[in-house]
This record gives sequence, structure tokens and C-alpha cells, in this order.
Amino acid sequence: MAKRKRTGWFASGEPWIWLNAAAVGISISAVLGLLLLIGSQGLSHFWPSDVEAVQLRADNASAAPLLGEWVGSETVSRQQFMEASPQAEIPHDEPLVERRLLKTGNRREAPPDFRWLDSHEIVSTTIPDDVIVIERTEWGNLYGRLVSVTLDNRVQEGEAAIDAFMAALERVETLRGSIVELEGGAIASVNSGLEKIRLERRAMQMSDEADPAREARIAARQAELDAIYQTAEAELRDAQAALRRDSAEIRISDGRIVTLNLADTVRAWYPNRMGVIDKIAHYGASLWIFLSDSPREANTEGGIFPAIFGTVMMVLLMSVLVTPFGVIAAVYLREYARQGAFVRLIRIAVNNLAGVPSIVYGVFGLGFFVYFVGGSIDQLFYPEALPAPTFGTPGLLWASLTLALLTVPVVIVSTEEGLTRIPRAVREGSLALGATKAETLFRIVLPMASPSILTGVILAIARAAGEVAPLMLVGVVKLAPTLPLDGEFPFLHLDRKFMHLGFHIYDVGFQSPNVEAARPLVYATALLLVLIILVLNLTAIMLRNRLEARYRSLEG
Amino acid sequence: MSKHAIGRLRARRRIVNALTTHVVGLGGAAVIGAIALIFFYLLWVVVPLFQPASVAPAATFEGTQAPLLADIDENSEIGLQITADGRFRFFSLADGATMASFESTSEPVIGAARVLGSNNQFVLRTASGLVFVDVRYPVSFDGEVRRVSPTIDFPFEDQPLSVGDLDGFEVHRTDSRVTLAALRNGNELVLTRYDDAEPGFPLEFGRTHSTVLENRYERVLFGPRGDWLYLLDKNGTIEVLDIVVPAAPQAVFRGRLLPERQRPIAIEPLIGRYSLMVADSRNRVTQWFLLRDEFGYRMAAARHFDFDARPRQLLAESRRKGFAVIDEAGQLHLAYTTSHRVTATTALGVTELDGAVLSPRGDRLLVTGGDRMAVFDIHNEHPDVSVTALWSKVWYEGYPEPVWSWQSSAADNAFEPKFSQTPLAFGTLKAAFYAMLVAMPIAIMGAIYTAYFMAPAMRRWVKPGIEIMAALPTVILGFLAGLWLAPLLEANLVGVVSTVLLLPLAILLFARLWQLLPGRVTQAAAGWQGAIIVPVLALIVWAGFAAGPSLELMLFGGDAKAWLLSELGLEYDQRNALVVGIAMGLAVIPTIFSIAEDAIYGVPRHLINGSLALGATWWQTLVRVVLLTASPGIFSAVMIGMGRAVGETMIVLMATGNTAVMDLNIFQGMRTFSANLAVELPESEVGGTHYRVLFLAALVLFMITFAFNTIAELVRQRLRTRYGSL
Repeated sequence: MAKRKRTGWFASGEPWIWLNAAAVGISISAVLGLLLLIGSQGLSHFWPSDVEAVQLRADNASAAPLLGEWVGSETVSRQQFMEASPQAEIPHDEPLVERRLLKTGNRREAPPDFRWLDSHEIVSTTIPDDVIVIERTEWGNLYGRLVSVTLDNRVQEGEAAIDAFMAALERVETLRGSIVELEGGAIASVNSGLEKIRLERRAMQMSDEADPAREARIAARQAELDAIYQTAEAELRDAQAALRRDSAEIRISDGRIVTLNLADTVRAWYPNRMGVIDKIAHYGASLWIFLSDSPREANTEGGIFPAIFGTVMMVLLMSVLVTPFGVIAAVYLREYARQGAFVRLIRIAVNNLAGVPSIVYGVFGLGFFVYFVGGSIDQLFYPEALPAPTFGTPGLLWASLTLALLTVPVVIVSTEEGLTRIPRAVREGSLALGATKAETLFRIVLPMASPSILTGVILAIARAAGEVAPLMLVGVVKLAPTLPLDGEFPFLHLDRKFMHLGFHIYDVGFQSPNVEAARPLVYATALLLVLIILVLNLTAIMLRNRLEARYRSLEG
Repeated sequence: MSKHAIGRLRARRRIVNALTTHVVGLGGAAVIGAIALIFFYLLWVVVPLFQPASVAPAATFEGTQAPLLADIDENSEIGLQITADGRFRFFSLADGATMASFESTSEPVIGAARVLGSNNQFVLRTASGLVFVDVRYPVSFDGEVRRVSPTIDFPFEDQPLSVGDLDGFEVHRTDSRVTLAALRNGNELVLTRYDDAEPGFPLEFGRTHSTVLENRYERVLFGPRGDWLYLLDKNGTIEVLDIVVPAAPQAVFRGRLLPERQRPIAIEPLIGRYSLMVADSRNRVTQWFLLRDEFGYRMAAARHFDFDARPRQLLAESRRKGFAVIDEAGQLHLAYTTSHRVTATTALGVTELDGAVLSPRGDRLLVTGGDRMAVFDIHNEHPDVSVTALWSKVWYEGYPEPVWSWQSSAADNAFEPKFSQTPLAFGTLKAAFYAMLVAMPIAIMGAIYTAYFMAPAMRRWVKPGIEIMAALPTVILGFLAGLWLAPLLEANLVGVVSTVLLLPLAILLFARLWQLLPGRVTQAAAGWQGAIIVPVLALIVWAGFAAGPSLELMLFGGDAKAWLLSELGLEYDQRNALVVGIAMGLAVIPTIFSIAEDAIYGVPRHLINGSLALGATWWQTLVRVVLLTASPGIFSAVMIGMGRAVGETMIVLMATGNTAVMDLNIFQGMRTFSANLAVELPESEVGGTHYRVLFLAALVLFMITFAFNTIAELVRQRLRTRYGSL
């Protein structure tokens, strides 16, 4: 009897329904879990957590307490732990060991900068309030205690040193700004001017025509540029000397005193003295630096501004290219072409193109756009620069074109969907009033389809912003020396290589030598990319919903 | 409005209308053309791989006298002949005109050979000894006109190096070390090594070691890097010696290259000198190389080429593993070992034939016969690829047996590139298989629940929620898989496996317990199970992970990876197929889910109502009616998901070790087509074989996914019309 009841329960399907429900639960949890993981890891990076002094057991190699921030922990079996560190002493009755990861920084002075400590080793932890954290331009953070500051050969010690140190940092910041301005302004324009002169000379040589007037003009221009360069360089030398004037002495955890030139510092703070308000302010400042600064230290520190800028430029250029072509193709397929087997075939092909792997587009872009088209452009228009390629090398234009090709099916499909929804009566009404087909298209059909065109473009942008594989072949680099948009004529440099958020994640997470140090930055970059794409997609979904509501009223 | 104005307006409207029609038509054609362009461009790059080679006569002219040795310069423009009176004559390959001529020695020259391991260094044998000669082709520019003025000089002064009486000899050079290997009286091997050869000074302080051999040989050849010697006699016997220590040559192998009563006609080493090509009177050329297996060193005949006429001369290419055969019928055959292909057969049309030489790039052939010379242009771009070389097992040089292997990068020219697509195809399918294993059950079951059971209020949120996952950049999934999931899995392997096993059981248990609740509660919760189950899932995952270390201690002695290796022989890579399966599964779930959900949701209401009215339960209706009706949609969802998994790049790139192993082991990585493209294409030489083979991979990917998607689309359309009539 009981058995029959059991089969009855299974036959009712109830358990299977629950299993199916679990599948939905897993999918939803996976999405939310991923977003939460990226969010928490990405946002926590900028929080100035307390620096603790960790006293290890005296028989351990370093008797002095370590200074550092806790960044993680894990539980492993005793056996695995012993394999990783055979000399550790762990009581035999404990099968599982907890170990914690301490970021001790000081990569140059006392490597490694991350240490796994097992909880048995730790005797005590304290939060000393005199610990300073100094973010350096190289070698990562420095943790220690400020001993003295030497400002313009005047030595200051004690609490006074702290204020003097912070003030000196501001001076360094100002000087650094002026150096960047010099390098990016006068010196950069002189350099590009000299390069233009070189190319012009080369072109003259190649044309085989003697033109003394032109030659003289070039020489005069060169002398002028040289003079500008001399003054700018002298200014630059002075600024750099001024930058390196001050220094500070820091005592690090093992008692040694490190001399630090203030020119090598970015920021400094006393995390253990900060209140919540201070920490929030610091957090905001860190976030701003992340968004607005250039990367340092093989992209593992500093900001990601060039990557954001590159992504935006590429996506904008792509949408300028993809919108007209996508819309025209959709209009052709839906409004102009004779509906039949051929159009149906094309529609299937367009649909399927969306499923072709993006790397294939990258391969096509590299072969066709870069080597074939770009190589031909170089032959025709930039022979004086050869063999150095101008357009015959991966760059912004080719990346945008490749992604435009990749996303054109998205725009076509979305636009067509919009065109299909427009009731026949509306078109016929327009034609019946005497409008031509073109007028109907421009005045009636396209305006009515505009929300779906917009949806398509937004979806295309979202897709393009997240693509990495094809870009690796057609124009993205790990570190671009210049932005694709600047003050030099012709302002928008289509031939330049650029940085990209998605590629930045790949590069920093997988190609950098110190993955542990780079990890928080990768999470933060990933968070930014996810946010951009989520916002774009949600906008598209909202637009679509609004559109649906509108047409429902039109039909009703 | 005047009549005139109306006319103008009408004309303008007509023009705008016509213009729009044309622009739209053109734009539409452009986009369609672009789509076709992708396919045809890829094809255009790939096609030369399979084109046959061609040989065309370029010029014939009078030579002066039969040369001892002929050569061609790097740019295939200048010929060189070294004659018996010690003269080096350089001539244009276009018309045979002498460009320069130098006398190297006053004595008659008995033999001439190229110095191995050198760049354009030759050694001449005269009665009083050996003379070394360097040949140079300096380039100067006179305005835009390029001028090459070939010249010779003597690296070790022009005094002959006295070596005594020799039969056959070869000279090998690496930087400052010069080794001379020679045979004397047939059975005495003389090895002389100069350790401090410096240009501008005579060769001095050589140490000579003499070994008496058991057999008589007539030819001596250096092996790879000058570490071995091949000794050959005219009956086809070979002896291989290890001469790393010249004072004590070690016999590595001795045996025959041919059956009894067969004699070699010609023997020629291929570049790198791992392989010897042996021509015999059966009209056959056989590739032999030394390999090491469990029985020690042996020479193996890897493959042979049969021709219609008896081979007369063998020529090895100097950049790749190709060779040319000139037979008694005056025909030239171009062949390639790796691909086992004869790419061209042409009648040379030369009456007399004394010698022939291939240019360094393999694009020209110089034939000497009597007092005439003939130049042939060879177009033989990609002999190293064939369908078998790409997909079947290939016996590469030095390998104990034929294998599938992808190893494209070359340290030097002597490296044999391995372009087998099979390991990559295997890796692609393996990654896709594990991804589908994860994605299919979750996505389809999720779609069933969402479309059929879920409360509409919840469905409104769940569907876009899962679909938004499709927009998540794969680089982020890949990064999480590589940097977060892979270490997590490695540390909690037992926890993860136990969670997966526990999950269905625990859910069933929960469902049974839920049944015990009052009917009012279960009624109200119908349609919301998907949300109710989430905390349960979290609990199960937490329990699985928490129990993991203890389970590992109990079942696997504290280290599951060591257990896997010792008990099952499975190696564990941190970035493996399981990680890829989960990460790529997540990327594919929304694709399958979305299409399958649409298909199930679109099943006509009257079918469901009819079934329910006949007394079937909801579950029976689902299994017998709804799923049956929606099955084409689910099928195409799986196909499209499969297409996505096959082409996905970033996840595989970041979550596997990218090694091209062929092993189904879930705990090992793989290398897929797409990841291979991303890694290797930027570094490959444009137009080279490697570049075109990569394009072939892209074309294969393109066609596979296009086919998958088209089949999915067609199946969906056809079955939709069939079921639509219901």
C-alpha cells in the first residue's frame, strides 16, 4: 500500500516540478551570485581597511610584528597545508587548518607582499594608530611608521613631520601635474611636428623633384621647433629636479629604516586614525582616481581612464557605422525587397550571423580590413611612412568596423521587428493621401520604428562593449601611449591603437606577473563593465516594453 | 501655388523617391554583400593551401663549363658556379651574363662542398688540402636602384689546410667550432675539431681522432647540430655514430636502409638532418629517421613516395621539409614529407643533366647539363599542408609513431611544424560537451518550469533576469572562472562533487517534506516553487562545502587530487574542463533557456486545455502534449546553444591551460579552435602556411556554427508549420 502511494507521488509529477523549479532557482542564484561577487569584491577594494600589527610566534623567522591588511582566509586539510609549508608546526590532533592572507606590501624592501599565515602562528594582533600607508608610483604600497621628513634640507620629526609630509605631498602633486602638462603639451606637439617634417622630407625625396623653397621652409620650421623644444626641455628638467627635492624616512615592520623620495609617492594615509567619515572621503577619492587616472605598474595599479575612453570611442564610432547600414538593410528587406524565398533566405542568414563566433569576425577583420584594405591605403596614401604601417596595422577604425559588422544583425533584426509591428493601415493611409513611398518611409514608418531602431543600437552597443576576442586581433593593446582623441590635428586618430575595459580585465588578470596584487583592480574593472552593460540592456528592455504598450494601443 | 511651382515640387518628390529606392537597395545589397564577403574572403585566404605547385621554364643560356658545385643567392637572382679550376663565377639568373668572377686557388679542385651550419661558406678540396671560401652578396643603392656586387673572401686565410688523403668528407661549423668528418681508406673515420676558429686567422690547434670501423663506407654525413654522423656504404648499410665526444664515437645504430639486393641511387638529408631521403631502383624514395622508443635507437622508414621512372637526383629544400626528385625520364617532382604529397610533376625538357640546385627560398631551380644551363621558376607556396596532414595522424621526424599534434611555433627552420587540426577540434568539442552537460539540464528544466508552472508575476521578472545573463560579457565569466572558480574548485573539489550529488536527493527530500504542509499553504505556493527553493539550495551548497574537508579526510586521506592520480591515474590541472563546463555552461544557459521557454510558452492553449479536460494531470499534459509539441523548439535551442559553446573564446582562453592535449579527462584542460586563433593569429606571418591554416580554422568555425544555426532555424520552421495545423 505504502509503495503504491510512493509511485503515486512520483507519477503526480510533484517531485519533478520541484526539480524543474530548482533549475530556475540555480539560474537565478547564479546570476545574482555573480553580480554580488563582482560587486562586493570590486567595491571593497577602495575601502581603507585597518592595518594590523600581527605578532607571530617568536620561533618564527621574523620576530617583529608584521604590518598589513587582511585580505582573505581559507580552510585546508593538515596534509595539504604541510605540503605547501613543510616546516610549519601544527598540532596533530587538528585535521583542518585555517590560514589567512595578509597583505604586507613593501614589495621592494621585504618581499613577498602577500603572506599566508596559519592561525596557530599568530599570537596577537593589534591596531597601532601610528601606521602610515603610502601608495607609491612603483613597487606598490609601503606600510610603516613615519620617522622624519626632509623638506628642502630641513629635517622634521615627530607629529610635526606628519603635517609637513602631507603638505609636501600636495606640492608633489601640483608639480607632477605641471610636468604632465609639459610633456603632453609643448613636447608632444614638437615631437609630432618633427615626425611630420621627417615624412615630408621623405616624400620630397621620393618624388625626385628639387624644391628649394619648400626645403627652406621645412628647415625654418625645424629650427623653430628645435628652439621650442630646448626651452620646454629646460623647464621640464627644472620641474623634475624640484619634484625630487624632498624625502622621508619610514621605519618598516622589521625595524629597518627606508628612505623614500616624495617624487615616488602618490598618496599617503593613516588608516587606523580615520573615522568613518574620513574613510568614506578616502573611498570616494580612491574611486575617482580609479576612474580618472592612467594605469601604472604594468596596469596593476592606478586607474583605468584610457580603457574607459578607448571603449567609449570605439563603441561610438561603431554605432555611427552600424546604425545607417543596419536600418537601411532592414528597410530594404521589409519595405522594398519583394517578399519571397530569396528574402527569407537572407533573413535566415542574417539571423545566423548573430550566432557566428565573434573570433571569426576578428579573423576576418585582421585579414581583410587590416592587412588588405589597410595595407592598400598605406601603399596609396602613406608611402613615405613605409615600411612602418599607418593603417596597415590594427587600430581604432578597423576595430570599430569589425564590431559594426558583428553587431549589424542585431540592428537589422530589431529594426525589422519594429517595421513589422507597424500596421499596414498606417502605410496605406499615407499612400492613399498621395505621399510617395519615400515620404511614407521618412515621415511615417521610420519615426514609428525609431524606438526599435534605438533598442537595436543599444543592444549592439552592449554587445560591442563586452566583446574582447575580436578586438584582440584588430586593435586593442594592453597599454596605449596616447588616447585616440587629442589636440593634435586631425584630433580623432583612427589609426591609433587603444585600450579596452574587457581586454584590460583579461590582460591584468592573466598576463600580469603579480596576479594577487592585481586581483582587486580586475574586480573593480569587471564591475564597471558589468554596470555599463546592465544599464544599456535595461534601457533597451524598458524601451521595448514601452514600445509594446504603444502598439497595443494603436491596434486597439 | 503656381503651376510651375507644383511641377517643380512634383519633380523633386519624384527624384527623392527614386533616390531613396536606389539608396535603400544599394545599402541592402551592401550589407548582404558584406555577409557574403566574410565567407568568400576566408575562403580566398584558405584556398591557396590546396593549390598544386607549378614549375615554369624561365631562361636557358650557355654555361662555361660543367661546375663542381652550383648555388643560388638568397634573393634567387644570382647564380654561382664553382669550377674545377677553382673559379667562382657569379652570373645573372635572368640572362646568364657573368657579374663577377674570382679565382680562389691556383691548384685544381677535386671536390667542393657547403660548410654545414654556416651562411654561404664553402670548402674546396685540392691536392694540398682544404680551402675555405666565404661568399657574400653586399647590396648598395645607387639612388633608388638596388645593386648587388657578389664577392668572395677567405675566412681562415687562403693557405690550404693540410688534411692528408681523404675519400669523403663533410665540414660542420657552429660559431667558433669547426668539425671535419672524413673517411680514409674506406674504413677509417677521421674527426678533426678546431675549437677556436676565428675569421682572419688560420685554422689551428685541431685535435684529430681516428677510428677504424668494422665496415667500409663511402659517404659520411653530419646529423642534427653536428652531434651525430651517418655513415653510408653503396649497398644501403647505415651506421649512426654519436660524436658529441669526438675521441670516442658511440655506435647508436647499424642496419640497412633497403631490402637485400637493392642499392641506393641517391641519399639526401633533409633540413635539420634528422631525416635521410633514400632513392632506390624500385622508383621509390623513402624517408628514414632515427627515433628512440622502448627498444632504444633505431632508424625507421616513416613514409615513401613512388614514381614512374627511376630517380636520378634528390634535392633538399633549405627552409622546410620538402625535396625535389629528378628522374631518368627528365621529369621534376616536387614533394613534401610531412604532408606526404607530391605537389608538382613537370617535364624539364633538358637533354643533358649533370646537376641541379634549388634556391634557398625554394622558388627557383638551376639545372646544369653539358655547357648549357636552365632556370625554372617554382611556385610552391604551401606543400606542407594536405587533408591528411591536417586531420590524420602524421609521423613526424623523431617521433616513435604517428600522432595528432598541434605545434605551430618554430624555433628555427629545422623544426617541423605540426598543423594537425584534430587536437583542436577535439578540444573544441570537449569544451562544448562539458558546457552542454551543465547547461542543457538546467536551461531546459528551467524553461519548462518558467513557461508552464511559474506564476505570471514571477515570470515577468525571471525571464528578463536570466536573459540579461546572455549580455554578461564572456570576458567576465572567463576571468571569474580562471581566477575565482578554478582555485575554489581545486581547494574544495570534494565539497563541490558532494554538493552536485546531494542536490537532486535533497531537493526530492524537501519536496516530500513540503507535501506534509497543509494544503492551503501548498496551494498558495504553487507557481512560486522557484523562489521557495532558493534558500534550500543555499543550505545544500553550504552543507556540501562545509562537509567537503571532512569528507576528503575520510574518503581520500585528506588529498583528493593525490587520490585521483594514484587510484584512477587522472591528472588534475587547476584550469580544467570542469571549470570551463561550469563557466561556459553559464554563458550558454540563457541562450537555450530563452528559445526553449518561448517554444514551450507558445504551445497553443487549446491543446493543454483539451488534455486537461480529458482527465490528464498537469504533469501528464506537460510530458505527453506540451513537450512533444515544443520539442522542435527545444531542439533548435540546443543547437543554437551548441553553436555558441563551440565558438566561445574568452572563457576557454582564460579558464583552461590552452594545451593541445587529447584526453577526455574532466580534470584536464584543452585548446580550442577559437582560443588558438586568439593566441596565435597576431603572431603568424601574413600569407604563410600557419596564417592560412589559422584562417582555415576560422572558416571551419564559421561553417559549423552557420550550419548549426541554419539547421535549427529550418527544423523550427518546418515543425512549426506541421504542429501549427493541430
